Amino acid sequence: MRRAKLGTLIWAAGLALPFALDSSWVSVAAFFAIYAITALSEDIILGRAGIFDMGHAVYFGIGAYVTAILNTTLNIPILLTIPVAMLVAAGVGALLSAPLIRLRGDYLLVATIGFNAIFVLAMQNNPGGITGGSDGITGIGVPTLFGLQLESQSSMFWLDWVALGAVLLLMHNLDGCEFGRALRYLKQDELAASTLGVDARKVKTLAFALGAGLAGLAGTLFAVQLSTVSPSSFLFTESVTLFAIVIVGGQGSIPGVLFGTALMFVVPQIFRGLAEYRYFVFGIAMIAVMVLRPQGLLPRKRIAT
Amino acid sequence: MTALLELDGVGMSFGGLRAVDDLSFGVEEGQIVGLIGPNGAGKTTVFNLITGVYKPKAGIIRWQGIEITGAKPARVAGLGLRRTFQTIRLFSDMSVFENVRAGCHLAARQQWWQGLLSLPAQRREEAELTARTHEILRRLDLDSVADSPATSLSYGVQRRVELARTLAGQPKLIILDEPAAGLNESESAGLNETIYAIRETGVTILLVEHDMNVVMQVSDHIVVINFGRKIAEGDAASVRANPDVIEAYLGRDSDEEDV
Repeated sequence: MRRAKLGTLIWAAGLALPFALDSSWVSVAAFFAIYAITALSEDIILGRAGIFDMGHAVYFGIGAYVTAILNTTLNIPILLTIPVAMLVAAGVGALLSAPLIRLRGDYLLVATIGFNAIFVLAMQNNPGGITGGSDGITGIGVPTLFGLQLESQSSMFWLDWVALGAVLLLMHNLDGCEFGRALRYLKQDELAASTLGVDARKVKTLAFALGAGLAGLAGTLFAVQLSTVSPSSFLFTESVTLFAIVIVGGQGSIPGVLFGTALMFVVPQIFRGLAEYRYFVFGIAMIAVMVLRPQGLLPRKRIAT
Repeated sequence: MTALLELDGVGMSFGGLRAVDDLSFGVEEGQIVGLIGPNGAGKTTVFNLITGVYKPKAGIIRWQGIEITGAKPARVAGLGLRRTFQTIRLFSDMSVFENVRAGCHLAARQQWWQGLLSLPAQRREEAELTARTHEILRRLDLDSVADSPATSLSYGVQRRVELARTLAGQPKLIILDEPAAGLNESESAGLNETIYAIRETGVTILLVEHDMNVVMQVSDHIVVINFGRKIAEGDAASVRANPDVIEAYLGRDSDEEDV
């Protein structure tokens, strides 16, 4: 409970970031919020349900493309595209989960990589002329709220930060509800869980749909922040990064996943001259964590009631 | 009167090996039924067939007269049929409380979105199920270890936690797979007490043991199998006097691996 209060305070303090930082750093903070949502959504599938999803960039990408297409071709306001982006991503997640959850961990992982490769290829091939091929889609508009254009970097940051706050609240509630616990039962011992009445297929499908839907939300925010989307943002390597953030940060741990995201996306900005070495540093960190602290940097706390 | 659980000509084989062959027996409501047989007789396989872990190759399994042959484990659990495992299967990353709370899974009526939004009805239900869990912990004398990591405890206590987890599902029938395995004498005596206490609450018990003494003491009805076939059935005295049973236990094959 105390951790939740502390978290709320830190989040509230974060709202003041645009007053303390220059606009390039506000943009870093905005990207942090967007990637944190994506990493938390991956944590639902990987960290909590224990499903080796290494294709999570697909759902992130679907959200971004849905918003980009709806906004640029049909002129639908950005904020109205959010529920569509989330539902389409969630639907695809549920659909892809059908063959995936029949597979064992290692085979499943390879299959998710396959889905990621197919997604990128499909976007590059510009199906129906709607995805813009390798160049992607440009000229995505800015969100409007009550007639107010959220044009400045600060206002976009606030949009992202509020979305992150909502996702954090959901993740917190997930810990204390039956669905969240069922994910953990399945991760620990699927046979024991099933003899307690846990419907593995239903729960895992739901985990995919929820994780994919939240990644779709992050995708919308990503498209808005960059005002352009292209296949190169959703490569397999992005999925690997998300996977690694959850493992290195701490599976099923909200602070862990946030810390992992900061390590991957904020720290490289601080050492901008060395940004080239991002994967190098993170690679070494991954090895060190797996050897010295396999439960992650900020592991999940045991909940006692 | 229809039996609570009924096996009718059930058969199972793995590759060429007949693990269970034309097995029929029934479990009446309120009974403690012991299923015994030497190691490798197919006892655990029978349990896996009843609870849906395996699908029988032949025969019919009925629950309160309705066929449930080949039903998935989650559905079988929903009928009010719960089990423990020969090798204890607790959730190792969770506390004793969380493990027992897991047994309440099907009692939770909340939808996933109610949980994610932490709606009042969901929170009320959480409080109810927390109370139910604590009550069971108290009943099985586990309240002092409620917050301990489940797998940090002694074997005997872990068995009790697993038992508590099955009871949390408010089952009609529980299936205990060698509950006395790995227990010392006083733990084993305590287990008998617990089994009686559970029956007092109206729960029917089907018990597998290869230790004849435990089963003879607590069972109302005993089914003896060897090489997957039923070789005797009846009360403790008649089973004990049965020459086939004596031979099965004293015979040459008693050291075979359990299937």
